[in-house]
Amino acid sequence: MTTPTAPARRGLSDGAFGLLLTLPALALFGAVVLYPLIGALTTSVFAQSLVVPGRTFVGLDNFRAVLDGEFWSIMRNTIVYTIGSTVAPVVVGFALALALNSRIRGRSVLRGLFLFPWVIPGVVVSFVWLWIFNANYGLLNGILVGLGVVDDPITWLGDPGTAMAAIIIAKTWASFPWIMVMLLAGLQTIPATLTEAASLDGAGPVARFRHVTLPHLRGILGIVVLLEVIWNLQHFDMIYVLTGGGPAGSTTTFAVAVYDTAFKGFDLGKASALGALWLVLIMALVVVYVRISERGEQA
Amino acid sequence: MSDQLSRRNLLKLLGAGVGLAVAGPTLAACAPSGSTESSGGLSDDGVKQFPFTTWAANEAVTKEPLAALISRYTGANGGTTIQTPSYPYNDYLNQLLLQVQGGQLKGAMQLDVAWLATLAATGKLADLGSVAAGQDYTDAALALGRVDGKQVGLPWTQAGIGLIGNQEILTRAGVSAPPRTVEEFEAALRAVKGLGGGIVPYAAMTKVDQLKDIIAWMWTFGSPVVDSGRIVVDDEGSVAALTWYKKLYDEKLIAADVNRVDARALMSQGKAAFYEDAISGRAAVTKSSTDSALGDKLRPLARPVRAAGDKPRHLAWGHVIAVVNAEGGAAAAQFAKTLTTDPAYSTEWFAKAGLPPTTRAGLAASDVQQNAFAAAFSREIAANSSAGPFWIHPQFSQMEKVLAEKVQAALIGRSSPKEALTEAREQMSALIK
Amino acid sequence: MTAAPPDATSTAPEAAPAPRRRRGRPPSWGAIVTVAVLGVFAFGPVYWVAVTAFTPTADVFRFPPRLFPERLTVENFSTLWDNPVLLRYLANSLIVSTLTALLTVVVSAYTAYSFAKFRYRGRRSLMYLVLASQMFPQALLLITLYLVFSQVGLLNSYLALILSFTTFTLPLCIWMLKGFFDTIPDELIEAAKVDGAGQGAIIHRILLPVSLPGLVATGLFAFIRGWNDFIFALTLAGPEKQTLPPGLVNTFLGEVETAWPALMAASLVVSLPVVIGFAVLQRYLVAGLTAGAVKG
Repeated sequence: MTTPTAPARRGLSDGAFGLLLTLPALALFGAVVLYPLIGALTTSVFAQSLVVPGRTFVGLDNFRAVLDGEFWSIMRNTIVYTIGSTVAPVVVGFALALALNSRIRGRSVLRGLFLFPWVIPGVVVSFVWLWIFNANYGLLNGILVGLGVVDDPITWLGDPGTAMAAIIIAKTWASFPWIMVMLLAGLQTIPATLTEAASLDGAGPVARFRHVTLPHLRGILGIVVLLEVIWNLQHFDMIYVLTGGGPAGSTTTFAVAVYDTAFKGFDLGKASALGALWLVLIMALVVVYVRISERGEQA
Repeated sequence: MSDQLSRRNLLKLLGAGVGLAVAGPTLAACAPSGSTESSGGLSDDGVKQFPFTTWAANEAVTKEPLAALISRYTGANGGTTIQTPSYPYNDYLNQLLLQVQGGQLKGAMQLDVAWLATLAATGKLADLGSVAAGQDYTDAALALGRVDGKQVGLPWTQAGIGLIGNQEILTRAGVSAPPRTVEEFEAALRAVKGLGGGIVPYAAMTKVDQLKDIIAWMWTFGSPVVDSGRIVVDDEGSVAALTWYKKLYDEKLIAADVNRVDARALMSQGKAAFYEDAISGRAAVTKSSTDSALGDKLRPLARPVRAAGDKPRHLAWGHVIAVVNAEGGAAAAQFAKTLTTDPAYSTEWFAKAGLPPTTRAGLAASDVQQNAFAAAFSREIAANSSAGPFWIHPQFSQMEKVLAEKVQAALIGRSSPKEALTEAREQMSALIK
Repeated sequence: MTAAPPDATSTAPEAAPAPRRRRGRPPSWGAIVTVAVLGVFAFGPVYWVAVTAFTPTADVFRFPPRLFPERLTVENFSTLWDNPVLLRYLANSLIVSTLTALLTVVVSAYTAYSFAKFRYRGRRSLMYLVLASQMFPQALLLITLYLVFSQVGLLNSYLALILSFTTFTLPLCIWMLKGFFDTIPDELIEAAKVDGAGQGAIIHRILLPVSLPGLVATGLFAFIRGWNDFIFALTLAGPEKQTLPPGLVNTFLGEVETAWPALMAASLVVSLPVVIGFAVLQRYLVAGLTAGAVKG
């Protein structure tokens, strides 16, 4: 892709003007994210509590303590959770976007209605799902037992085999609408002429999807997936309400562990060390992503 | 632009960030500067305006009674104004600690007895020893307001977390007398199980958030849980307690996936025969029940003991009022004293909110004595309750969570009770190292 | 979101060139089945919220649960009037979320334009830095942020919330809009330049109108971020400026009290205006880039 390279000198060069445009965003990042981030990273080499004033330098002790703990099982949980609650909502959101982009009766109303799960305040959503999955008086067990599918209620959230899946389902419910919105917006930008041309060439729906829709949405889809991954990596509240990280730590993700360390153990040093380690791991991921996407761009 | 260059820039930016961190102000800047000697006595600065931070200002049951008490107080004490900032119970402690860090916290505050030591560790709480002196608080209540020998909280209400039974179900199951020993209790649970109908005999805590209730059973089985400062949650008594708990779990005498809210829901539907709760839980149970007579069927019971004659053990539960050593502190302390000791206030609080007083005179008041549930609760449960063994540590809540997770691991068969509790001991000890 | 009046956009589909019309294929069964199946998944819980909201407190925990309740009541809605403070929470939420959406769209549009159509040293680094900043656990950021806001006296203000929410939404919005801007042909901008348009005119007269669906989508997202946040709102806003999520929890979920039906009723009532607003706004999503590009 070519870019405007010959700047028309109007006081500012194009590049400088471009940089200028980013200033408001950078100022916000500096104040709201970078400054606290640096503060927290610094804290990771101190013994510091949210309760007791003062702190002492302890070098890498916090990091050692964190790595001695259940770091690796937390990491595994986080990866499982992140993959699950990224893939599932993207699939659901994509399917709905395609369906609601076709000529279907009442699609404008439906587009609005499908946003409902997204606007019910998140705290309430978690409690609704808690209730649905409850082993002893929950809705899901009520239906399954009523239909005779199962004899005994299933402890969805109390069994390591099902707890994570239950959380992912709940999270999917809460996050598919925004993906649907994004992809719907993306679908709107596909020039009708393209689809038409493909149809005239005799392409069926599947071929049109593969050769017109998908390539056109690749950019937005990539962004959606990337952001879902990033958010899920540090998603916290739904897991916390549904299982609190249990049973037996099987849904304790990194974000849950950080919260527990910072807000139950009040150990800011260790919580920051956990955060710092995490940041390093994710940065590595991003570098990989950068290389892949840049290669794609060059091609 | 090559990706080489871009990654170098990325690193440069990060590097610059770290550099800034070393030079720049950080969390340390916010550590309290020039804080006075901790928890000194209060001197009256004449300021009569102070906040009373309390979650009671929000909850449906307590909201109006509290507002009435406060307006009575401000009416009787000219010039006093009291705001009531409020946070949800589950986030309350964290919010308070953040406020302390930011130097924002002032006035009086309601605290769960479990949180008092944590807040006292900030060094910001006033010593209320002189305020409490000469008041007729019960010794047990007063003790719950003390940290390291210093009276940093005035007890507002005090009871315990105790066993509550549904008399009707028990009678139906042929359990005529309250079970006194663990064996009798187990037999009662089996009898209830025999009724069928999906009744959970004992809606014991099995979710992470409240599983700490098992501590009372560990005590019952003879473990001190903490022995002269050392955590011993894997001693013989604790392992016996967990083994027994797991037996109940495996035989479905207790149910998976239950926390306090779930237990109350089950009790309200007549789907559980026993559960454990604070004294104020009864209102929540009866409210969501179609059975208008349910309230009369609920009986507080002493926790069964291992051998007849042992003393039943319960975890304490209650609210204290603490005061920040800051502007308006003396007026706030005066308010806290009135709220907790003046019978006109404490009896009304009991009548409207169902929370028993902490003074001898208050407890002897006819209202309290005539309330069969409250009287039985005080006699069977509150009288034998002790502070949680980990509350003295600011990080008690994470310690309790570690314990809960390990207990859960044993319950679902991921590890043996002994292994689980040994791991719990190691990890809990590491937290307070 | 403020770029064009509704009339202009609602007429856009009609004004679209002829080939667009012929897209009218019969609806595919696949689409109908997808909507039906996912509809059950999406609306089942919403239905349950609604049923619970109309269920008397005493019936709420009955097991097996009744999908069609025997008794209905509006008592849970009347408790809303007993808590006038909820109206204040709602107003706070609307103010904070709307301002967050506006600020986000403006800031992210400029930044995204810069990332999409300019080349300068460090551009790529900046782009990934923006993303990377989202990866640090927010619980930790919150602690320092609280202290920072406390020092500059911004605690308990709308501004504290708006600035935080905007910053946390920016990465999505910047990347999203960059995706849209990338698809805008450079020739369009070049042509405007040749016609003598300044950078300001290019952004405001060409870029933004053409990217309306993207702007609306990002605006919606930013709105929801402000609408849904719990922990930042709770911590930074103070009792007076509290938004709905902490407000609802504060009102209905207490130490012993869990007023499910009233909580569900309140959630339903406060969500409804937003759903309606979105249903109206989503027309903007239909206004096509194609239409804009053809007209432009």
